[in-house]
This record gives sequence, C-alpha cells and structure tokens, in this order.
Amino acid sequence: MRRVAVSGIGVASPLGNSAAEVFARARAGRSGIRRLDIPFASRLVAPLAATTQLDAEEHFEPAQARMLDRFSLLALFAANQAVDDSCRALSGLERERAGVFVGSGMGGTLTMDGGYKTLYGDGSDRIKPFTILMGMHNAAAAWIGMAHDLRGPNMTYSTACSSSAVAIGEAWLRVASGQLELALAGGAEAPLSAGSLKAWEALHTLAAIDADDASTSCRPFSKNRSGMVLGEGAAMLVLEPWDRAVARGAVIHGEILGCGLSNDASHITRPSVQGQVAAIRAALRSAGMEPQAVQAINAHGTGTHANDCTETAAIAEVFGERAGRIPISATKAMHGHLLGAAGALECVLSLLAMKHELALPTMHLQVPDPECHLDYVPNTARERVPARTMLSNSFAFGGANAVLVLGAGV
Amino acid sequence: MTTTYERLGAILSRDYKLTPEQLTRDAPLEGLGIDSLGLVELLWNVEEEFKITLGTEPVELLTVGDVVGYIDALSTKQTGAPKAGGRTEAASLRVT
Repeated sequence: MRRVAVSGIGVASPLGNSAAEVFARARAGRSGIRRLDIPFASRLVAPLAATTQLDAEEHFEPAQARMLDRFSLLALFAANQAVDDSCRALSGLERERAGVFVGSGMGGTLTMDGGYKTLYGDGSDRIKPFTILMGMHNAAAAWIGMAHDLRGPNMTYSTACSSSAVAIGEAWLRVASGQLELALAGGAEAPLSAGSLKAWEALHTLAAIDADDASTSCRPFSKNRSGMVLGEGAAMLVLEPWDRAVARGAVIHGEILGCGLSNDASHITRPSVQGQVAAIRAALRSAGMEPQAVQAINAHGTGTHANDCTETAAIAEVFGERAGRIPISATKAMHGHLLGAAGALECVLSLLAMKHELALPTMHLQVPDPECHLDYVPNTARERVPARTMLSNSFAFGGANAVLVLGAGV
Repeated sequence: MTTTYERLGAILSRDYKLTPEQLTRDAPLEGLGIDSLGLVELLWNVEEEFKITLGTEPVELLTVGDVVGYIDALSTKQTGAPKAGGRTEAASLRVT
C-alpha cells in the first residue's frame, strides 16, 4: 500500500468558505448555528440551522447554476477550491486514473421537495424539467468530474451521516492500492428543505432553541443537551500518492492513514457500542496501528443522548484506561450536523488541528454528564497538543459506521 | 403591446443573465449557453409565460428567432392569434 497525501482542501460551510476561515472560527469557538430565517420557519418547532453563505450566481455561469441543486453547488465550489489549493495536482495526470468520491445522505432533496410542492401542494402537474438531474444523488460527483475532466471512477456514497467518511475511505483505498493516481473525495449536503426539516423534527432528534443564545443550542457531551442541529455545506479533499505530492513540491496538509467500516446490524437508529468499537478497531488495523498511536479524536458528537453516551463507551472500550487522556473534540456544536458532509468537514478540521498542534474545543459543554466522563476539550481550544495521529468518527443511522485514521503528514 | 421577442427576451435575461448586446434574434442558443437540455427547460418556461402547450413532434430550434417563430406558430394554432399580440414571426422550424 502507498502512503496517501491530502494535497488540497476545499470547504463551503457554516464556519466559512475557506480552510483558513473555517479553522479560525473553530479555534475561536464561534458557532455557525442560527435561528433559521426562512418563511417556513413559523411551521417548525425549533427553527434552527447552520447555514452556509454561498450564492450560485457569484461563482458559476447562469446556464450551469440553473442545473445545480444546492448540494451540487456546495460540492462543486468545494471541489474547485480544493483543486486550486492543490498547486496543480491535475497537471500531467492520466485522467482515467483520477476519480471522484462524494458522500451525500440526502442528495438533491431541495429540488425533490420543490417538485413535491408543485405536485401535491399546488395540485399542479408542471414539474420542472431539471428535477431528475438536480435531484439525483450522483449529480454532485458528476459535475465535479466534468469540471476537472476526471475520467476514472465517479462514485457517490449514501450511508446517512457517515457518507463522506466512507467516500474518503474508499478513495484512500483506491489511491493507496495503486488503482488511482488522484481522487477528489469528500461530501456535500443541503438538507434544509421544508420537507426534510419537518421529517427530522418528527424524529425528535433536533435540539431545542437556547432562549438566551440560539448559537449555543447544540451541546455535545453536555448533560443539558437537547439534540442535534442540521447544517448544510461541503468539504472536498485532493488525495494523491505521497511520493507524487512530494515530487511535485505540493503543500501537504496531512495524510489519510486508514479507514474502518462496520455495521451495527442491530437497530435502524440506535447506535451500538459494539458496532462503533468494531469500526475503530478496523480503522486502526487498516492503518497498521495499535490504539496507543491515537493522540486525539474528532468525535461524531451529535449532541443526542444516544450518540454521546454510546460513543463515549466505545472510545472507553477501545482505549481502556488511556481513554480519559485523549483529547476529544465535538465540532458539531459549532458547524451543526452536515449529515453526509459531516465526516469530510470534520476530517478537514482534524487535519488543520494537527497542523496547528491544538485540539479544537467542544463548545457549549455547560454541564458535565456522568455518563460522558472523557476529556472533551470543553469550551476552549487547547493549544500545544502536538498530535501526529487522529481518529475522525462518523456513525450513521442504519448502523453504518466509518472511522478515518488521519496523520499530520510529517 | 410587448412582442413575443420581448417576452422571450425577458425570460432569457432573467434566467441566463444576458445583456441586451447578447440578445439578438440571430443569436445561436448554444452561444448563449443553452444546449438541447437547456432548451427543454426554456420551452417549459415558455409554456408558463405564453400559456401554450408544446407539441409532441420534434423540432430543432437553433436561434432566438427560431424560438420566437415556434411560439408564434403554436400560439396561432392553439388560440388563433399570436399570444403576444405582436407581429407573427415566420416560423423557421426544422423538424428533425
């Protein structure tokens, strides 16, 4: 297996639309969660979301912008930025050996929602002609492939909240094994349609609005948590063989060392300690590492009771008595839950945290929870944490677990 | 009274952000960023705007003027008069 470098990063997220901006906000503990300001908000119990400021027409020609669902827009913006950031990684590339790997849980749900409104809400049969091509889950990956002439595998993964961690893991495998010379990998999600918001609300997993400060409503690992907050955004990485990146003098942001997948095979929503433990161990095995090598973790950390307690127990089981000394960051408190894009954004944040030798804070951890007894880096970034190896956990409905092993790339 | 051309131009300006200089009768649709797929969507919007129903027969529309002619021909056929109330364009449709 070859070493795989991350040589380009692109993001469009509630914390900003560049790696530097996103990292600066995360380091400062600034939340991107707000009261949702849309007309439909009056029909929501708790109109909260983490939105991304990105306008299609500022970045794309009108003819193309008209064909992009928001999830494709976010993905394509992030992919273009990652390529720009990669110092010409595509130059001299055999295009058939370059692939695209995108994760998305809900695909073009805004477009589909619009179609349903027309059909059922308005009682009209006038569905827009682009509905299928905007709504399909693989639209984002297709646009990225077209934009950059990437002619190898063009793959879309939909494993709910672990989609983009799976996409990065699969891309890593293809590059590490020698099948591909380059992959653009990550995820995109734009789940803030009326139908999606109501459906999530109906599941009783969403946070209540903090009356004093809505931006603090997501509180992973805090006893007074009340649930997750939906977010939209995208993050994309350029992955290439380490030796190629070094040879062409690329700026290397870090390294993908491994990926472990598992399935709980037990319940459609309730997470399982056993399943999560299996994913973490599989990830370490794929990287050829022992648990002692892990120096920090980006938690799945959604801010639901089920997640926080299960994830804590899984980490405790894998790392034993050392678990309490590993800094664990739950950044969803700031950027919300980007569902299928969450793993990719958290992978980016983890790489940047290692680069800057710090642990990002778990914000809004106001009340310690006896069931969550580990070191979650509460409320303030911790400087001088020179981690060289991190895990990024993604655990999904359907029991689809994915854990990435990330290296500082030195 | 606005003409068919002006009403079509308003759709094109809105959806494709075209400048008055770009928008001429002779302008090829491809040159405006409207390929065959884009044309499907444009004609959907034309149906909305002009309250006409597209025929099922295949047509080849290459320029803005072609679309104007197509709209007028359909309007005449379906309502007895061009919808816009303006002059009727000579339909230059190429049936494929």
